[in-house]
Amino acid sequence: MSSLTTKNVRIAGVAACVPKTIEENIDLPFYDSKEEIVKIIESTGIKRHRIVEDGTTASDLSVKAVERMVSDLGWEIGSVDLLLYVCTSRDYYQPMTSPIIQDRLGMRQDSFVMDLPLGCAGWVYGMSVATSLMCQGTLKRGLLVCAETNTQSHSLKDRTSRPLFGDAATVTALEFDEGYDTPMNYVFGVDGSGAGAIMAEYGGFRNPVTPESLVEREIEPGVIRKGNDIVVNGMDVFSFAIRRPPRSLKELIEKFGIDTEKTDYLFLHQANRYIDDRIRKSLKFPEEKTPFCLDDFGNVSGASIPLTMVTRAADGLRGDDKHCLACGFGVGLSWASMEFTAGHLVVSELVEY
Amino acid sequence: METGTRVDNVINFTINIMKTLDEFVELFAELFDTVDPEEIHADTVFHDIDEWSSLIGLSVIAMVDDEFDVALKGDDVMNSVTVEDLYNRVVEKL
Repeated sequence: MSSLTTKNVRIAGVAACVPKTIEENIDLPFYDSKEEIVKIIESTGIKRHRIVEDGTTASDLSVKAVERMVSDLGWEIGSVDLLLYVCTSRDYYQPMTSPIIQDRLGMRQDSFVMDLPLGCAGWVYGMSVATSLMCQGTLKRGLLVCAETNTQSHSLKDRTSRPLFGDAATVTALEFDEGYDTPMNYVFGVDGSGAGAIMAEYGGFRNPVTPESLVEREIEPGVIRKGNDIVVNGMDVFSFAIRRPPRSLKELIEKFGIDTEKTDYLFLHQANRYIDDRIRKSLKFPEEKTPFCLDDFGNVSGASIPLTMVTRAADGLRGDDKHCLACGFGVGLSWASMEFTAGHLVVSELVEY
Repeated sequence: METGTRVDNVINFTINIMKTLDEFVELFAELFDTVDPEEIHADTVFHDIDEWSSLIGLSVIAMVDDEFDVALKGDDVMNSVTVEDLYNRVVEKL
């Protein structure tokens, strides 16, 4: 089992920016009857989500979230040594997006900046990379940006994905703090045999974009896609999501001897309510310790966990230290679980753009 | 000798946890709200049931995970014709 422990880095704050446009699932046009969409809303727990306007990208939302975060922390942008951009909704095919963000934010040119194109497991992986780099002590302030504009990478004419996914950008601010010896512990997992379960088939070099691949095709009634739109095999993803995440969390708990009685929060990737409830119940975690924001924001990939912190756990995280577990899982297939402590955080009010 | 005992134990264990086709059909029928469980049999073509939907498909996967600790894939559900086909796919994966 691949695991990791990092020390001497603490979470200083968390902020998020979402598009101001709200799309209500109950108003979506695809369904034969109100009953059908009501059933989907009930089983997924997702009532609405945010959707970017044409021309706005994930990096635009990210810049807004970071500006708010550093302002609320009272950090000068020049004091930031590291920025990781966890996102697959990139601005351009080349270059990666993080240098564009570095320039827009006015970050130093000698800072450590890179993209990590992970999806739903992105926050946990991003935390593992950021804290590993920062625990050496030379990179003192870091920003882990997790963002996704799912409404741009999935077809808006796909009734199987449109009610589920939303757009958001988040930033988790990290600080080197020598002597802060509360560890962050991680376990990881990957199964590339499930790569096709969530995939945009065209647009990479395996299947380059051709004029034909960009033609919209009706797969079944209510499902129209182009070759570069993300396809989610719902049953395969479901089968994965009800099995791997609970096992991963149990591995973490066993490996690091965690007493879950003293755990204050379980932060799960916001996939859908049914899946997340199964994960929670398999760990016998009470509902009140497992915050959800998917009712208002849907599945926002790697931004899910920090968006949940900002919108559902802000007061708790502003208070005394909280013992937390987190689990991210999705496209790859890839997953990771994490134990960390967070308290006295600067949690910004949700930014809308 | 020792190996033989171990194999016997494994066989006994498998028999103990193994659900019969009848039990599987019963568990399968419970997933529907509006269908009389008596109407669902091993040879029922389940895709033709009025209430059948991809959501029920998900609850089949969840039931199989709970009762058999087996991961069914979407193709297993979509390509099975009768309830018995589905049961056989589960048994293959045990």
